[in-house]
Amino acid sequence: MSASPAGALVRSPGYWVAVLRRFARDPVAIGAAAVVLGLILMAVFAPWLAPQDPLQGMTLKRLRPPGTEGHLLGTDELGRDMLSRLIHGARISLFMGIVPVFTALLAGAAIGIVAGYAGGWTNSLLMRTMDVFFAFPSVLLAVALAGALGPGILNSIIALTLVFVPPIARVAESVTTGVRSRDYVEAAKASGAGALTIIRKHVLGNVLGPIFVYAMSLIAVCMILASGLSFLGLGVKPPMPDWGLMLNTLRTAIYTQPLLCALPGVMIFITSISFNIMTDGLRSAMDIKA
Amino acid sequence: MFAYAIKRTLFTLPIMLGVSLVCFALVHLAPGDPLVSVLPPDASQAIKEQMMALYGFDRPYLEQFARWLARVAQGDLGTSIRTGRPVSLEIGKAVGNTLMIAALATLIGFVLGTLFGFVAGYFRDSWLDKAASAAAVFGVSVPHYWLGMILVIIFAVQLGWLPPTGAGPGGSEAWVWDWVHVQHLILPAVTMSVIPMGIIARTVRALVAEILSQEFVAGLRAKGLSESGVFGHVVKNAAPTALAVMGIQLGYLLGGSILIETVFSWPGSGLLLNDAIFQRDLPLLQGTILVLALFFVVLNLVVDVMQTTLDPRIQRA
Amino acid sequence: MKLNQLVGATAIALAFPLAVHAQGALRIAMTAADIPKTTGQPDQGFEGNRFTGIPLFDALTHWDLSSADKPSVLIPGLATSWKVDDKDKTKWTFVLRKGVKFHDGSDLKADAIVWNVEKVLRKDARHFAPDQIGVTVSRMPNLVSARRIDDYTVELTTKEPDSFLPINLTNLFIASPAHWQKKWDALGSVSDPAERAKQAWAAFAADASGSGPFKMARFTPRERVEYVKNEAYWDPKRKPRLDRVVLLPMPEASARTAALLSGQVDWIENPAPDAVPQIRQKGFSITANAQPHVWPWQFSFVEGSPWLDRRVRHAANLCVNRDELKQALGGLMEVPKGTVPPGHPWWGNPKFEIKYDLKAAQKLMSDAGFGPNKRLKVKTITSASGSGQMQPVPMNEFLQQALRACYFDVELEVIEWNALFTNWREGAKDPKARGAHATNVTFAAMDPFFAMVRFTSSKTVPPVSNNWGYFINPEFDDLIAKARGTFDDKGRDAALARLHARIVEEAPFLWVAHDVGPRAMSAKVKGVVQPKSWFIDLAPVTVQ
Repeated sequence: MSASPAGALVRSPGYWVAVLRRFARDPVAIGAAAVVLGLILMAVFAPWLAPQDPLQGMTLKRLRPPGTEGHLLGTDELGRDMLSRLIHGARISLFMGIVPVFTALLAGAAIGIVAGYAGGWTNSLLMRTMDVFFAFPSVLLAVALAGALGPGILNSIIALTLVFVPPIARVAESVTTGVRSRDYVEAAKASGAGALTIIRKHVLGNVLGPIFVYAMSLIAVCMILASGLSFLGLGVKPPMPDWGLMLNTLRTAIYTQPLLCALPGVMIFITSISFNIMTDGLRSAMDIKA
Repeated sequence: MFAYAIKRTLFTLPIMLGVSLVCFALVHLAPGDPLVSVLPPDASQAIKEQMMALYGFDRPYLEQFARWLARVAQGDLGTSIRTGRPVSLEIGKAVGNTLMIAALATLIGFVLGTLFGFVAGYFRDSWLDKAASAAAVFGVSVPHYWLGMILVIIFAVQLGWLPPTGAGPGGSEAWVWDWVHVQHLILPAVTMSVIPMGIIARTVRALVAEILSQEFVAGLRAKGLSESGVFGHVVKNAAPTALAVMGIQLGYLLGGSILIETVFSWPGSGLLLNDAIFQRDLPLLQGTILVLALFFVVLNLVVDVMQTTLDPRIQRA
Repeated sequence: MKLNQLVGATAIALAFPLAVHAQGALRIAMTAADIPKTTGQPDQGFEGNRFTGIPLFDALTHWDLSSADKPSVLIPGLATSWKVDDKDKTKWTFVLRKGVKFHDGSDLKADAIVWNVEKVLRKDARHFAPDQIGVTVSRMPNLVSARRIDDYTVELTTKEPDSFLPINLTNLFIASPAHWQKKWDALGSVSDPAERAKQAWAAFAADASGSGPFKMARFTPRERVEYVKNEAYWDPKRKPRLDRVVLLPMPEASARTAALLSGQVDWIENPAPDAVPQIRQKGFSITANAQPHVWPWQFSFVEGSPWLDRRVRHAANLCVNRDELKQALGGLMEVPKGTVPPGHPWWGNPKFEIKYDLKAAQKLMSDAGFGPNKRLKVKTITSASGSGQMQPVPMNEFLQQALRACYFDVELEVIEWNALFTNWREGAKDPKARGAHATNVTFAAMDPFFAMVRFTSSKTVPPVSNNWGYFINPEFDDLIAKARGTFDDKGRDAALARLHARIVEEAPFLWVAHDVGPRAMSAKVKGVVQPKSWFIDLAPVTVQ
């Protein structure tokens, strides 16, 4: 497929400085990064930013269109302030996009590094297990897992994490295998350095960069997948203000308040497109001929 | 080449076994009653126990798995608990229906994706590149089920141009390739095509840019090869990867059709999966997951072998 | 014909093939995810009975669906009369209607009734159908056997004396044994008899034969089933007018609405409440009528439950402004006064009135020792969807907010519908109840057992039936025994009325709503009578 980060070479700190410098010169990517930062700030400071309680509403004042007095973006199906719910929604939606990828990053990197470093039997056992999970199309695996575990934040995180562990483990494994055969690693081994030391000194530095960038590109995928699970009723449970779930619960009002119902979708779209553009920018910045 | 195909196929067998184990484990791991689809909640405990025994759900898991696997190996996926119909029949029909929209979506995605990708890659950093890349990033970023809902409102409800749901006035069994039926394909297939469009466009853009930046292209140009000749060269070199990505995308669409089919009530494997999950019809659920996953495995195998054949540059162990 | 007319007519013909759009064809979108079973014992709850039971089959007893105003009562169906044996109250004789034929042309006689009872009760019967046991036996829990007396008389036996049997039997739809036999005969190559029977049932489901006002014409699994009218139907009042009925499963409320608004179907079940104004505005009509249905919180009476105090139960019932909820649901619910409404034969004038009275509710809570600074934590489990659950999450969130004013802090846990359903029989003590103090499973209130007995008898505690909260009270056991053992209709109803009054007074539920079975249909659909029932008769409907 597209340029695999597995081909990364040994990279000095200077390399990352150069990457950042290149990234900073890409206005679109910087713009996207600013939006991402804005969304993260919005999530962190949601309780102070949101004008109202996202869980409290007046059923009598439900489904008011954007622009209603006191409710800048209108109210949802239970009369809760839409703006406040969208702001708070950034918390759960970003959480559901980032946390599974992050846990998958830890687990996948650990599995990949162990498999790549140990080689032989351990490698076969770990990577063939990964292959089994990799053999499922991602949506199918996520839906099947979420269907089996039942809805809920924790279950969704488990399901999505399991979806992303195998690809990350594969990347980590191939980078590690590549590094392991390098002369200086052989030399370090010969001089009696322990496995942990070698991994820490020589492997981690090379592996984490590429898989981190790869994982970044999964965040948007993960967020859309998580919102899809919520949409099917297999993800986050009410009354949590999750954008995917809001799309689901507002869907029945789509004929009367189309604009209102489109809002959570717009938020998902903005977030995922910003993450994608930012990662693209990062990737092309890394694409420096050494 | 042939040896490679055989070897790759043999490697796939343990994966298939693992996949079937995962399917079985997933389905039996789930909480809830396996007979809920034929047993109302007000049924007594005695009836429940009687039926658990009749269906064999009181046996140890290992035994149930072995029995299931033995039958699957003979091509028998069992019968649906709720309807009593053979699971293989249900899945066969549903996968066929999904294949119709998935194939059309892949085709649309491929045509638009390669178009955008080529344009973007050829005119790198121009405004054309920006527009084409924007379309591509839109494709991979938009929640497609949401896009589907919006398309229904615009084209089915407001404008009345296209039907919102289903597989035609007589259902999928009365399907014929005429406009009355084909119009039912359009909205789901277009909605479904945005992801492969985005992914193929991005892949092709990267490929084209990479090929064009290679030194020998400059060499070809220097030798006086016409632009169309250079274009042909680029197409020849980009095609194997682009086709491979297309093949894999078809597998993803087939396995991930649940959201689109739920929005459009399209009688395919995704809707079947949704039913099986919410009705806890275990034979149907594990059969559907298994077939979709195995299809994906086989598709990967075929794509891999074909890519090796088409692209001799790829050396495989 | 002018050219543009010709073009127009061709376009219409192309858009709507004649087969489906013939004069008098009605297309209905159901809420079920799949076509309810067509073996004679529908699944998918009462929507199944409504669409693949009543139109295709008859039962020994029927519900009267001819009036929108009167309560829907029991009337003769295939049986013209029935009575219990004077000496042995477990034996009933049913006299059958003469001259009734199945759609395949065979005669409907006593043997057919026996055959349909034995398909779920006699394990050694050739046509024994395990998948039909659940929906059949659980709806007639005391039926044990059937015996032919003569061609038009059949004897049914119950486990214990049970005056509810004739009501239960509305759920026993009579399928054609001769037609099934043909399917069996065609499967000579299948050696295992159980497997052969299973396949014969699957073949029967795809080409069913009953004696109802409609005959099955075409069956596409998971997508659609088509009926044509049965010209030879025995009841002249229920001779169908429609030439053809098409039923489509469409579980998504917004998909159903889109199908209606774009003219793909003529009638949808349960439109999304929020789309109702739009549906009306576009010239479609909405029908609704109170159903024998209860949307409750069913309380737990296990040790430590905050609902053990009757004052707290009453307070919750007085704390909810149901009119406001009704408004929020677009008017598509009925405000409950009990499990059955005033005017019903089982009403019984309870002394506790279910209404909105915040002051009284707060006072009851203060008396029970709670207040603004000493709030009461309660936990309720519910689901995000499910048959009859209406709009479970918004409704529960409404309750959560309403009860705050009465010092309740409600924790809601939304679990999967099937898990909630299953836990209904596992009970409040089971770990799968997740420590909840109330469960939110809705129920039908047509049959006395399902409306009242199973929630209040000491014999129906988990795992036997749905007394989820272990409501145990000897007084109720006595009232139930009395009702079951009274075989004249008036006496039985009076006993049930006393039971109902006591249930309302003891309040083992928070009564929140009755569903009204909303449906939306095109202006072309005429003659629809929506009775106070879960069911509806398609026979008098026409499409213009």
